Amino acid sequence: MSRQLQRKLFIAAFLVPTFLFFSVFVLYPVAKGAHISLFDWSGSSEHMTYVGLDNFKEIVRDPIVWKAIGNDYFLVLGKTIGIVLLATFFAVAVTRLRIRGASFFRIAFFIPNIISIVVIGVLWRFVYNPSIGFLNSFLSLFAAEPVNRPWLGEEGTALWSILWPSIWAGIGFYFLLLVAAIMGIPASLYEAAEIDGAKQGRQFWTITLPLVWEQVKVSVLHIVMTTLNGSFVMVLLMTEGGPDNSTQVLGSYLYQMGFRQFHMGYAAALGVVILIVSLLTTLVLQRLLRRDTVEYS
Amino acid sequence: MEIRKTLGTVLTLALILVLAACGGGGKEKQTASGGDTPSSSNASPASPDASPVTPAESSDAQLEGDFEIQYFVGGYGDAWWKDVIAQFQELHPNLKIKQSAGPKINEQMKPRWIQGSPPDVVYIDGAGSNPRQMIEDDQLLDLSDWIGQATNVDGEKILDVMIAQPEQYGGKTYNIPLVFGSYGTFYDKALFAKNGWEAPSTYEEFLTLSEKIKAAGISPYIHTGVYPDYILGGFLYPAIISANGDDGQILQDMGDMKEGVFASEPVMKALNQLAETGSKGFIDQGAPALNHTDSQMLFLQRKAAMIPNGLWLESEMKNDAPADFEYGFVPSVTQSAGGKYVALPYTSTMAVAKKAKNPEAAKAFIQFIFTKQASLNWAEKTGALMNVKVDLESSSAGETAKNAMKYYSSDNTLVAPVVVFNADVFKVMCDATVALSVNKITPEQWAERVEAAAAKARK
Repeated sequence: MSRQLQRKLFIAAFLVPTFLFFSVFVLYPVAKGAHISLFDWSGSSEHMTYVGLDNFKEIVRDPIVWKAIGNDYFLVLGKTIGIVLLATFFAVAVTRLRIRGASFFRIAFFIPNIISIVVIGVLWRFVYNPSIGFLNSFLSLFAAEPVNRPWLGEEGTALWSILWPSIWAGIGFYFLLLVAAIMGIPASLYEAAEIDGAKQGRQFWTITLPLVWEQVKVSVLHIVMTTLNGSFVMVLLMTEGGPDNSTQVLGSYLYQMGFRQFHMGYAAALGVVILIVSLLTTLVLQRLLRRDTVEYS
Repeated sequence: MEIRKTLGTVLTLALILVLAACGGGGKEKQTASGGDTPSSSNASPASPDASPVTPAESSDAQLEGDFEIQYFVGGYGDAWWKDVIAQFQELHPNLKIKQSAGPKINEQMKPRWIQGSPPDVVYIDGAGSNPRQMIEDDQLLDLSDWIGQATNVDGEKILDVMIAQPEQYGGKTYNIPLVFGSYGTFYDKALFAKNGWEAPSTYEEFLTLSEKIKAAGISPYIHTGVYPDYILGGFLYPAIISANGDDGQILQDMGDMKEGVFASEPVMKALNQLAETGSKGFIDQGAPALNHTDSQMLFLQRKAAMIPNGLWLESEMKNDAPADFEYGFVPSVTQSAGGKYVALPYTSTMAVAKKAKNPEAAKAFIQFIFTKQASLNWAEKTGALMNVKVDLESSSAGETAKNAMKYYSSDNTLVAPVVVFNADVFKVMCDATVALSVNKITPEQWAERVEAAAAKARK
């Protein structure tokens, strides 16, 4: 066996199995989903009727889909801003501001990440409960009359009420990511800055932020992708998409259509839409976040 | 360059192989694996002379061959199923009975239904099951002619012993209701007695009572806004039937999505009742945000006086009710003076697969289980009601079930037909009903929305 063949075999031995798994568990389902999206199929019938792009035409005309896309982006925007700002702030606080009990905060902020999302949903349903919830009891302390606002039951407040727990539950991981990045910055840089008379604010903008920009970027991308693909769990747990479809996101609407209203073809088409929306958003973000990488040498 | 080319070829080949394997081999594989569910199949055949033979079936030929039963195991457990299947096996020792059962059975059996090799008989219950959808998917056998004359093993006509008659789909019968219960309005007798309140028997009384309850600082009426099934079954449907002169046919027409029925006069009258109850502030303000546990907890904590719910409520909340809580039940609160109570039933049904391999055994099994004895057995094993009229007083069925049974056998109560809605229409109806209950939309807008959904579903 020639050296070259050996080398090729060696490389193939690593790539082929991974690729096989990738094909079976990613490529095939995606292709199958796209295929089903061209059919009118209940999801339980033997018969599938080919309808071409009718499902997609229907999607364009469906007002709930547009509402859902809007809600998706509301959550994406809200979560990205909320999580990145807070996580960065907390990370800087526990590393650079020398506050007391930094290690306690590190654990405290991470705790929501190890709680199951289901528990978080149920927990926050209790917080928002109109009659016995924590939030209304708390607000009642400051009001003349007891507050009994159904936070999750009013169209104006329901989506906002889903946003807060999502942010609360999301901070921990990005917080740790940024803490690790900030701790990786050589202390000598900060020392030099201090000797030159730079205050904390100045240090943050000229040293910390440029040097953790890669991590911020990863955080933003990751938040955007997980929100577009995963926010339906929170929605299903807290409002089931209601009241009157006002908190529906694409994912929850897909579930509703596919498994509760028996339109699996339509649901598959929604899945394709989610895929396209996610890809486009990620591409746009990649461009927007492009910025010269700063490295310390 | 070389490496790339070779790798490219290898990867492409691999992909093709994988896709081919997934596409082609799927059928056999899934067929073989479909039935591996938690089942205790094949009770050992008893010796022939041990089998109890009653006069009715002594003339029947012995059944043989394979026979598969699919049943969902949920709140009712599987004790009753195991029991009746063992009895059935004793009766037909040559029949090879396979039980496909479990809490996830609907998903587990789905590939089998899709591929056209379903079980013979199915009990339709649990998440992911909808008889109307199965009929639309052409999966169930038309039982219209058979059920018209079928008798149970005791020789009684099955239709005669049932509480709720089978659902009709375009005038045809495909499934037989096995479990019976009804929605209704629940209240706490202890709380009512303490305040000198009387359970309402008409809509007028309901309004007067609500006024009093509200004045006492309690929410008169609470419901489960996240799952509007409850307010539909406990308030709106009965109201529609009452407004239709106690004729349940209108609900059937709604189920069949007849044009204009959702904007018809009885429906509008019922919608106005709901809107009125909402606008007078009798419906708990928090209701749209509540799921069933939330709303039931508030009811048990006496923060709300009345709740539309199903007969399962008592056993569901067994561990949470205060010690002095006493369940009271009226089937409906929306009838006018002189009208009957309207009990809106819910059921879970049995059906025979259209592609059943042993339809004879499937029918024989249904004849075997629709008896008074099996019904009593069901009540004792599950605490709920089976759809066969039977005297429960001496049984161990729950208090609520016994009380409700009295209503069902009374002349003053109309048991509405069982109607399963098209899932799309139902969703729109749910959303619109909650929106109406908080007066976000008018009854006319409700009708408009639901008519549009029905028009789309008819296509």
